[in-house]
Amino acid sequence: MSVLLVNSLCMRFGGLVAVNNVSLKVDTGQIVSVIGPNGAGKTTAFNAITGVYPPSSGEVIFNGINARRGLDGANVIAIVSTALLAGFLLLLICNAQTIWEQVINAHYVYLEPFPWTKAVREFGSFVFSSAAWPYFVSGFLLGGAGATAIWFRSRTSPFILCKAGMARTFQNIRLFQEMSVIENVLVAIDARAGANLFEAGLRLPSFFGKRRAALKAARELLDFVQLEKFANQPASALPYGYQRRLEIARALATHPKLLLLDEPAAGMNPAESEELITLIERISERGVAVLLIEHHMKVVMSISDRIVVLDYGNKIAEGSAAEVRANPRVIEAYLGKEAAR
Amino acid sequence: MPRLRSNLHFVFLAVAALCPLLDTLLPEQLRFADALRPIFIFALLGLGLNVVTGFTGLLNLGAAGFMAIGGYSYAIATCDIYPFQLGFFGALLMSALTGMTAGILLGLPTLRLRGDYLAIATLGFGEIVQSIIRNLDVITKGTQGINPIPAPILFGYVFQPENYLPWYYLFWSILTVAVVVVSNLERSSVGRRWISVREDELASACMGTDVVRAKMSAFIVGAILCSIAGALWVSYLGSTGEPGNYDFQISIIALCMVIVGGLGSIPGVLLGALVMIGFNSILLTKIAAWINSLSTVSSTNVLASPNNWKYLIFGLALVVMMRFKPEGLLPAGRHYHRRGK
Repeated sequence: MSVLLVNSLCMRFGGLVAVNNVSLKVDTGQIVSVIGPNGAGKTTAFNAITGVYPPSSGEVIFNGINARRGLDGANVIAIVSTALLAGFLLLLICNAQTIWEQVINAHYVYLEPFPWTKAVREFGSFVFSSAAWPYFVSGFLLGGAGATAIWFRSRTSPFILCKAGMARTFQNIRLFQEMSVIENVLVAIDARAGANLFEAGLRLPSFFGKRRAALKAARELLDFVQLEKFANQPASALPYGYQRRLEIARALATHPKLLLLDEPAAGMNPAESEELITLIERISERGVAVLLIEHHMKVVMSISDRIVVLDYGNKIAEGSAAEVRANPRVIEAYLGKEAAR
Repeated sequence: MPRLRSNLHFVFLAVAALCPLLDTLLPEQLRFADALRPIFIFALLGLGLNVVTGFTGLLNLGAAGFMAIGGYSYAIATCDIYPFQLGFFGALLMSALTGMTAGILLGLPTLRLRGDYLAIATLGFGEIVQSIIRNLDVITKGTQGINPIPAPILFGYVFQPENYLPWYYLFWSILTVAVVVVSNLERSSVGRRWISVREDELASACMGTDVVRAKMSAFIVGAILCSIAGALWVSYLGSTGEPGNYDFQISIIALCMVIVGGLGSIPGVLLGALVMIGFNSILLTKIAAWINSLSTVSSTNVLASPNNWKYLIFGLALVVMMRFKPEGLLPAGRHYHRRGK
């Protein structure tokens, strides 16, 4: 069964077509690589898949669910209640002076007890009067439009896809530099099972259990990528290759079903990329499917179950390592027409 | 010593608790504990701003707006020209609730803005609050301000304006509670989420953090702290004062406190408040008294009154500070960590 299904994905920026009609598929437990010359649209495709950009057209189906969510019941309830609240608030704010005069000032005599029931009744009669409804309607429309716009823009978003089980690393490392190594991993664990504002602020009993579990999980992951020695060092102090491994550990902390790696071997020496190959294989053994962008052919050819080749935003080839290597269109894209003949 | 360094704020609070004792040993003209009360209130304001700007990295130029909302809510809830006449804690809760509502209303449409745009929006918010208070005179008494505010009564004890000591410990305990809660938050999943949003919003979202929600929670905590500061300020003055008292200058002083102390550092905020407000209310008043006691300086000399040259010193100190210690007097532990590598 396929974890990720991309159907004719297009990504346009104005007149520039960065990704054109690309389809690909990742099955459970597979390692799939995306290769292509510089500027072929690999990272753009990645960003569209992970929800960083909403795709111009086409669909991304993750785990059987469309990554671009439709309008469901919960959305409708949220939008309508926001609209109602906005209507009521606009009514209150625009008529604050009148309401105050009619409800408070008309009934309050200095230092006399205040007739609360009478005031509340007065307030009710103002809210339901004909003077109030234009404000309510405009607030309702404004709030409804705002909530709809927010829903529309958040149909694809990285955090929702991440919650569903899609994790990624970045081409140019994006660790939280000011945080320690273990804190970087903890951020990803917290997003899944962190304490809320009250638990954390008031140190409620449930906080300590969550903290212990999170620290244990983080230590295990650091152990997995062999960075446990550096747990309390600032992330920015790690050497480059270790930072890449930390990014992978952080991504794994979200408990992904699919891990997207954007050029994990960039800037690594042969020994380091050898280690990386073992690491990716060990990740795959954990049952995590891997989608990989890579230029390092040794890495790509040795671990990929399938390879997809992009050039100028189009998919030009797909298949096993041997098939892709022999494909004349691939050779043409990398080396030119002369070599392909 | 890293443990002591990261707990420095508790040392500061303990020293502050002993200041009135120290005061009794000093000669009359050197006593200062009385003047620490506004510093406690401004420290609370700085603490709120620190959550938003220091931890989460959202530049907020509207702290005074939240302070005004808190202050006026407290005044309306307690003053006997209104029917509510709540007790001290009831009114404090009211102002925290209105501050929170204002934070949500401001945050909903603006938290999706990036960096500088959010700063402009909050700047506008501060100005709007001021104009609304000035013009909604049915409720807020316009430029007269609301007074008199009754003295707080706690457990049957009436706080008299003549005796500063009960006030001192009231403000001290509220500040202590706030410091404990904020430092709990900082060292928890909530704080890590805030800092991860500051460090790299996209990476944080791709690790499953709901960025808008994280920003909103920071905004709400900040708004609550700022409005409690406003409520305490009003109870301390016995009047809301003129709406112009909550102008942009207050927001900037609060921001300076946070930056001088060290962005994102709780002990830094406390020290920043002491330096910025203490300079004005302790050091300068002592200097003015000393100059007046010298018979050689005539009172017509422009240099005789520190009010004429205090901003000169102030500006100079900021320039020197930004040149030689831009990370603040007590930078956040994480920065410190990094420099020590």
